[in-house]
Amino acid sequence: MTALIILAVVIVIIVLMYNSLVAKKNQVDNIFAGIDAVLKKRYNLIPNLVSSVQQYMQHERGILEKVTELRSQAMKPGISDEQKIALDKQITSALGSIMVAVESYPELKANTNIMHLQRTLSEVEAQISAARRAYNQAVTDYNNAIEMIPTNILANMMNYRRKQVFEITEDERKNVDVGALFKQ
Amino acid sequence: MKSASELTDFYYTELYDSLQELEQERNAVRKKVLTLFGILGALSLLIIGAIYNSCHCFNESYIWVGVGATAIGGFGFRWLISGYRSGFKEKIIRPLIEAIEKELHYAPDAAIPQSLFQFSHLFEQRIDRFRGNDLVRGTLDGVSLQFSDIHAEHRSRDSKGREHWSTIFQGLFIVADFNKHFKGRTLILPDLAENLFGSFIGGMLQSRNFTKDQLVRMDDPAFEKAFVVYGTDQIEARYILTHTMMQRLLKLKKDTGSKVYVSFNGEKIMIAIDYDKDLFEPTVFSSLLSIDQAMGYIRTLRSSIGIVEELKLNEKLWSKT
Repeated sequence: MTALIILAVVIVIIVLMYNSLVAKKNQVDNIFAGIDAVLKKRYNLIPNLVSSVQQYMQHERGILEKVTELRSQAMKPGISDEQKIALDKQITSALGSIMVAVESYPELKANTNIMHLQRTLSEVEAQISAARRAYNQAVTDYNNAIEMIPTNILANMMNYRRKQVFEITEDERKNVDVGALFKQ
Repeated sequence: MKSASELTDFYYTELYDSLQELEQERNAVRKKVLTLFGILGALSLLIIGAIYNSCHCFNESYIWVGVGATAIGGFGFRWLISGYRSGFKEKIIRPLIEAIEKELHYAPDAAIPQSLFQFSHLFEQRIDRFRGNDLVRGTLDGVSLQFSDIHAEHRSRDSKGREHWSTIFQGLFIVADFNKHFKGRTLILPDLAENLFGSFIGGMLQSRNFTKDQLVRMDDPAFEKAFVVYGTDQIEARYILTHTMMQRLLKLKKDTGSKVYVSFNGEKIMIAIDYDKDLFEPTVFSSLLSIDQAMGYIRTLRSSIGIVEELKLNEKLWSKT
């Protein structure tokens, strides 16, 4: 009888650990789907941005071509999550350079279409930043669970592997300061 | 917005005549109140003495004498100060609000409706009695803002069927437009569980709170220590609660020195600040001319109206216009 009770308790603990691991993995996947959705919003804005600024930005042609190329790579079907994370980092940096360059062109800064694009892009950037933070928290919870005793044993049997987090720079931690951008 | 010192100057210079008048009224009211309390106290003692002389015993009739005297005292107090109270609100609070912002309207006897209070989802207990006053509403820097005193109570009965009233919330309730689009609901509550049981057990209890939405763990240790966040959408909660917004809410908590509850729902921000007392009420037993009294009214009004500026709700940086 005692052996049966112990067995039942062990089974319940295993089931709870299994469910907790699956829930954490699903949470990571769900939030990554959210990131995908906001990244797509940004990809949709890029052609509009490039076509609006390219006639003015002769010296920055290289960066405009680079951002277009990165966008087409990111839009390819079947790329891995790790590749998406790497491309996102490069696109963020390229878009940042374009936005800084816009400041050197008074006719662009005053253009209502560009101003609207800047606002929309800043909003999307804030959403991406929020999605990255949510993803990183979910990945941290998941990574902790697959490395800590005793869930690591079960995670190993389930072939769960560590996931990569998005690197968040100090600038991003301070948020997208659109106010400062407009004042420049 | 006028600074606290400018408002203090306004209080003592522009409102001086009204303050003098009200101070005289307060002294007269104070005497009447003290006389009433004295008579009630003496009468109660006489009745208790008479009961004791007749039966030489202690029974629950003494309690009823106490309850009756308190009820008559409370009713009498409210009746005696009613004229002075409304004079104070019209002559002092209204000009102060207008001095802070002309676009704001003041209704001393109105309050934020119960439906809006419940819409915040900050307090899920059943409300059996809902009262409030001192409603201020209007537009500030293009942001719609309203706030009032609120007292929400819950009724329960003990095993003997006796009725008990407990306060769900008493304090200031503020509702304003929020400058970002969002669809879901995000609640920020004081972190009681982690403060009581530590971060490990407290965190476990919070994540297993089935009456709330999903637990949202924030990446700011100071904020996470002070508050617990629940939301319908993990990403949206972080879109609203940027690092700067978390810092601003922490500052708000520090400045008020009270428990702060925040709800983001229906594209509005709703803030409940637990003061555990009725604000903007005139003092009866201390002078209206005292600097502490003046600063108390000014500070509360300024911080309530200043929420728009403090949380930068007026920044229309996003596509929402």
